[in-house]
Amino acid sequence: MSKLFSLIKNELGKIFVLKSTWIMYVILAGIIIASAVITSTSNFVDTDKTYSDDWKTELQEENEALMAEIEEDEDNPFIESTNMGIIEENEYHIENDVRPYGYHAGDFTMDNLFLTSLISLFTIIVGGGIVANEFRWGTIKQLLIRPISRSAVLLSKYIALLIFTLFTVLFLILVSAAVGALFYGLPAVNPEIVVTRQDGMATSALVPEALMMYGFRTLNIIILATFAFMISSIFRSSALAIGLAMFLMFAGSTAAQALARYEWSKFILFANTDLSVYFNVVGPIRDEMTIGFSTGVIIVYVIIFIIAAWMVFTKRDVA
Amino acid sequence: MSEAAMKIIDLHKNIGRSHIIKNLNFDIRSGEVFGFIGPNGAGKTTTIRMMVGLLSMTKGDVVIQGHSIKSEYTKAISEVGAIVENPEMYPFMTGLQNLKHFARMSEGVTNERIKEVIDLVGLEKAIKTKVNKYSLGMRQRLGIAQALLHSPSVLILDEPTNGLDPTGIREIRRYIRRLAVEDNVSVIVSSHLLSEIELMCDRIGIIQNGELIATKDLHEKAETNEYIVNLDVYPVEESIDILRKMNGIEILDTSRGIQIKTYKDNIPFLVTTLVRNDIEIYGVNVLQSTLEDQFIEMIGENIIE
Repeated sequence: MSKLFSLIKNELGKIFVLKSTWIMYVILAGIIIASAVITSTSNFVDTDKTYSDDWKTELQEENEALMAEIEEDEDNPFIESTNMGIIEENEYHIENDVRPYGYHAGDFTMDNLFLTSLISLFTIIVGGGIVANEFRWGTIKQLLIRPISRSAVLLSKYIALLIFTLFTVLFLILVSAAVGALFYGLPAVNPEIVVTRQDGMATSALVPEALMMYGFRTLNIIILATFAFMISSIFRSSALAIGLAMFLMFAGSTAAQALARYEWSKFILFANTDLSVYFNVVGPIRDEMTIGFSTGVIIVYVIIFIIAAWMVFTKRDVA
Repeated sequence: MSEAAMKIIDLHKNIGRSHIIKNLNFDIRSGEVFGFIGPNGAGKTTTIRMMVGLLSMTKGDVVIQGHSIKSEYTKAISEVGAIVENPEMYPFMTGLQNLKHFARMSEGVTNERIKEVIDLVGLEKAIKTKVNKYSLGMRQRLGIAQALLHSPSVLILDEPTNGLDPTGIREIRRYIRRLAVEDNVSVIVSSHLLSEIELMCDRIGIIQNGELIATKDLHEKAETNEYIVNLDVYPVEESIDILRKMNGIEILDTSRGIQIKTYKDNIPFLVTTLVRNDIEIYGVNVLQSTLEDQFIEMIGENIIE
């Protein structure tokens, strides 16, 4: 066990000693700061608005102003749909006695969920290289003539990849929260927020909601990383692994969507990778799918990927 | 001293339809330096890869200190330190980071031991430099340091003299002799150039087309260590007379300088004698050891197949 720990330490060392890894974090932090600047300066989100104890009246006034805007500009469907969305949400706040807050660090962190796709990219790059690079550098021979089984070497690489993924997601969350706090201030402790589920609006506490959404995205990233890891182990080519995984990342869910009318499409991995669809208005591509079903499909695929990588890696002649 | 540290038993390797390695059988004794000689493409690296478990065997086995590399891989490989082909290290890490990386993969390699191997190969000054700044010679030394970390009883070095200058070759020879004599390590060195490793080996095995065609004990000196020596001396006639009176010297040719055949051990005495007789010596040139002649005879021309 302590041996495996040393191996994981080695693998993480090799990931973090590379300049390209640090550049990833600099890029990520840069984009978080840039998105904070853009959010504050654009008028798309009113980040200065705050609510007093008389927030119910304030929300009603806001709704009246929004209605007036729609009537003023009747031919603009965009304004109508956006404003109607806000009005509905405001009404939900009033009816259910959920106090709103102005834009704060929590909202900013939730808005930055989209940056997890950047992390997917980084993780695919790291996962696609973690085995293939050893072959490219020629160091695979040095790595495999140690008193350690090949399975343990491969396992340590996979665990290191998972740790890298979790660490990077955590970095995104924490830096977003910190930058958000700096720009917009912190909300009250764990405020209730209004979310849109499949069957309409609901309230949820901010922290668990954020963790759940980030959790689903992390799962998504891990699936792509595992895929890249498998290709990397089988074909020893990081370019192929990165290319294929990125292609699937962009095309996978679209393809699943396009095939949704066939019943078998629910068994496509990318019809199942985004579990957050069960918690927002999107919903799964086929009505009969459940979150349990999707979880099962994901587990089966991931196990197949890992077994394929393991079989090729442990049996192969290293020339 | 003479029990086998490594046994190569009935080793075969087929890749596709070609038989890369055919029926290798030999032992490496404890504390001996074994030279594994053969032309490029003869199967040296393939054999070494099977010895360390990088390549599967079609038939046969390699037994290291009593443990089969096939069935007791971890136990067998713990006894082995190796450089396979080139001494490839992580280019973006320093020499020390590389050594620590590999040290973590074996049991009980202390920081003192790491320092010890760095001293042994003389890399103290460059150890905190990234490996991508290393010369081939420095990488070769780091490769040896890496192979020695866990104090293996069998050391396998594939073409350790590749890319080294004569000083570097001499240094490597010195480490290897020291390891074999002082620490009783069995060392296997492969090379396609007999002349580069002849001086460090106790025994050599010659491989060609995947078959071991001869093994030779280099300590059986009397018969084998004959050299052809070209003497550029003045005056020639007088020198010939002196040489004729000496034992163990055969004069082959006197048309351009004097070409003689003699044992290596005779050379210093021969030179001293000539000097004492006031012969002016402009050059003593060892053309070829006859061992090398035999080697070339045995393998024919150096054809890559």
